[in-house]
Amino acid sequence: MKLKKEFIPYDTSSESLLVPVSGAGFSGLVKGNKTLGVILGLLKQDTTEKEIVSAMLAQFDAPEEVIAGDVHRALAELRRIGALEE
Amino acid sequence: MGQIYRIAERTIEIDALHQFIHQHCAAYKVNGVPDFAVKTVQADIDFEREKSEQGDRSAGRPIRHYSDDYLETLAVYRKIAEKMLEYDTMLFHGSAIAVGGRAYLFTARSGVGKSTHTRLWRELLGEKAVMVNDDKPLIRITDTEAIVYGTPWDGKHHLSSNVAVPLKAICILEQAPDNSIRPVTRTDALPMLIQQTYRPAKPAALVKTLSLIDSLSGCVALYRLGCNMDLRAAELSYRTMKEGK
Repeated sequence: MKLKKEFIPYDTSSESLLVPVSGAGFSGLVKGNKTLGVILGLLKQDTTEKEIVSAMLAQFDAPEEVIAGDVHRALAELRRIGALEE
Repeated sequence: MGQIYRIAERTIEIDALHQFIHQHCAAYKVNGVPDFAVKTVQADIDFEREKSEQGDRSAGRPIRHYSDDYLETLAVYRKIAEKMLEYDTMLFHGSAIAVGGRAYLFTARSGVGKSTHTRLWRELLGEKAVMVNDDKPLIRITDTEAIVYGTPWDGKHHLSSNVAVPLKAICILEQAPDNSIRPVTRTDALPMLIQQTYRPAKPAALVKTLSLIDSLSGCVALYRLGCNMDLRAAELSYRTMKEGK
């Protein structure tokens, strides 16, 4: 899976946003913390949920189940708004 | 062969199917060589109709029916907005008013009272206050400042002037029983600025838009105003923003 090209990740100093182009089927914004930014960054290339969790584990000092839960929730939200190409 | 207009420092040829767009833009008509041209076809009008109906359906309101010539004005502005990004200029949804050679731009979700608030400014300041655009101004970002432009797309009351004014501040409006205003950070303001800026359909153009919004948020003062419809709301916002950065 990967992020559709119609959805552009945008980082501010304290949060990450995902902004859709006009006509992407979702007109809002997705806001999240820097963890979301990292997940969005990984989704620029074709990847899997498992690979994202592994990459996050290498970057963040948190238990695997916490990271896996965060990744799963983020991907579910991205799927819901149609931002993922699978 | 279209007619020529000068909008936000660009000379634009508009080649349209209906005459109404030429009445709509009459105050901006010039002679000259265009920087670029926009041309509409029936599919552009149909697209605007579908988009409008889709908006009505998602908002749960009855479908509004618009004439082709009105929808063509929207199609023309969409094409202009997409092209204007090449000139570091973007379309923003808000009510812009100028006082003493500086412009102040109020933005909010639809129905919050942008136009009501700038009407209060006009009541407060009389002829000193000039409406730049009550609905969809263009903003050009330079190395040092943002400039807001009047355009023919100026809301249901048609309040605008064919002027260019340096933008001093952007204020996000929220309805509140009591009036209060505070400066906000770029991070606080960015989601609303993004929501209120025209988002193009092409990803590369959206990246450019986000970069312009980033520059915009760095070169104007940003405020959040909780306000009612009392004249004192305008007194508070004018006094605070005039004295600010």
